Amino acid sequence: MKSGLDIDHVCALAHLHLTEQEKKVLAPQMAKIVEWVGRLDEIELPVPSEAPGFHLPFSLPFRADEVRQSQPLESVLANAPEKNAPFIKVPKVIEEK
Amino acid sequence: MSLTSLGASEIRSLVAAKEVKAEEVVRAFLEQIERRELEVAAFLSVEGEKALEQAKALDRKKDKGCLAGVPIAVKDNILIKGMRATCGSRILENYVAPYSASAVEKLAAEDAIFIGKTNLDEFAMGSSTENSAFFVTRNPWDLSRVPGGSSGGSAAAVAAGEAAAALGSDTGGSVRQPAAFCGVVGLKPTYGRVSRYGLVAYASSLDQIGPLTKTVEDCALLTQVISGPDGRDSTLADRPVPDFSKEMKEKLGPFKAAHLKEKLIEKIDPEVKNIYWKTLNSLQDLGGELIEMDFPSWEYALPCYYIIAPSEASSNLARYDGVRYGYRHPEYSNLREMYLKTRTSGFGEEVKRRILLGTFALSSGYYDAYYLKAGRTRQLVSREFDRAFAEVDYIVTPTAPEPAFPVGAKKDPIAMYLSDMFTVSANLAGCPAISVPCGWSREGLPVGLQVIGNHFQEGRLFQLAFLLEKKVKFGNNRNIINWKEER
Repeated sequence: MKSGLDIDHVCALAHLHLTEQEKKVLAPQMAKIVEWVGRLDEIELPVPSEAPGFHLPFSLPFRADEVRQSQPLESVLANAPEKNAPFIKVPKVIEEK
Repeated sequence: MSLTSLGASEIRSLVAAKEVKAEEVVRAFLEQIERRELEVAAFLSVEGEKALEQAKALDRKKDKGCLAGVPIAVKDNILIKGMRATCGSRILENYVAPYSASAVEKLAAEDAIFIGKTNLDEFAMGSSTENSAFFVTRNPWDLSRVPGGSSGGSAAAVAAGEAAAALGSDTGGSVRQPAAFCGVVGLKPTYGRVSRYGLVAYASSLDQIGPLTKTVEDCALLTQVISGPDGRDSTLADRPVPDFSKEMKEKLGPFKAAHLKEKLIEKIDPEVKNIYWKTLNSLQDLGGELIEMDFPSWEYALPCYYIIAPSEASSNLARYDGVRYGYRHPEYSNLREMYLKTRTSGFGEEVKRRILLGTFALSSGYYDAYYLKAGRTRQLVSREFDRAFAEVDYIVTPTAPEPAFPVGAKKDPIAMYLSDMFTVSANLAGCPAISVPCGWSREGLPVGLQVIGNHFQEGRLFQLAFLLEKKVKFGNNRNIINWKEER
């Protein structure tokens, strides 16, 4: 399996920034890990008989679709990094051209 | 015998019989924390005053719960209302839980006392607790060594007599491996047995909350309390919780146990291998028929796990963006820069590594080759377990490939990941698995045996672990530091 790992592209997708120094350490480590997990290529997988993913060994119960009390506003705002009650303050989303 | 050397079952009996006050118990454990914490560093926060208030109120209460006065430590990725929940990360350094996890509520309803929050690898990503953003926890058996991880703080607190029992979380072995390293008992319940409500998500299809205790009896008791429906975790099984303490003491009778082929354990520490073989002999003495079984996908479980878990983590940890809660970087010119700077300065190295790995495995062009393939491999692991459990009652393996290693010994990430080589399969298959101490290395370090059972067969695990515990007489040496001093 060719890894094709482009560290800058993956960092951009993950909203992370690495310094050149960090990249020097992390990029070869990541390449090694990707090569290691690529060992899965050695297995011959049977023709899938079920959808991929994790299948629970029990059926999931449905709960009634009813309105419930959510967290009180004060407790939500208590952890907000910046606020102007009853709102959480965020930077401007729409930028001027 | 000092109060801090007692386990949960013994403490609750003494408190229920009014032979000792809950306040005395809590004071004894707080004093032990005072004595040991400088060396062990198991706790991120100690809630002494709250615990004493709780204890005093409990002493005035008439009808007490089944965990009355038991001081419990809780891993810092499990929420207790009003207490900090940092997940060992700078990004949640000042986060205060607005509600309690279901498991915590269930313990509180039985009058357990929460003595503090324990250290962990950041967001439960690690096998040594060295990835905590705050400090390294030490193994009470040998302070130059790690306690294992990611629930290293919880395991060390119990081993050092700083808590009578603890909660941890197990995504790939994070309860069992530190339990083995610290000489305590640790259980990962069946996926769907214990509510994940209030457990900060790492990899949601693998995560389970589990107890770390001094004895198998305590483990059964805590599992009993924290299990069962709560209506707030949609992946929770709707099935009754058996009386585990009763099942544990039922006669086991003849049983069949599968053990691993030599090739799967040929590279592990020779002492661990010897102890494993000796323990298999003990299982035969207990009436077990041992069957060597081939698990062709076993060696692929770890790479499979290291695709699935980081993929889920990359998605779960996308919420830490500085908007609604947690750390926000103070300098930014627009929203994107705020995300970037917050996440870059808030997360530690291992968390970044796993987010990047998961992002890559899920990215366009690579999804089929990595994530989808890992999903199929996971199904293969599950099918192999199903086939095994049609034939045997248990699968037994060493819990970890070596005893606790020195702090700083594993610089290479893959070398660290290999610590989970025996534990991840149970998470991938959703099966319950317990680690029970089964011997000591020549250097005096504990070694654990992992017993895996079929789905929802925790009672059967406790039966065997209880007998094994009596046979190896590990239970006599429960308070490690005291025991070493007394020796």
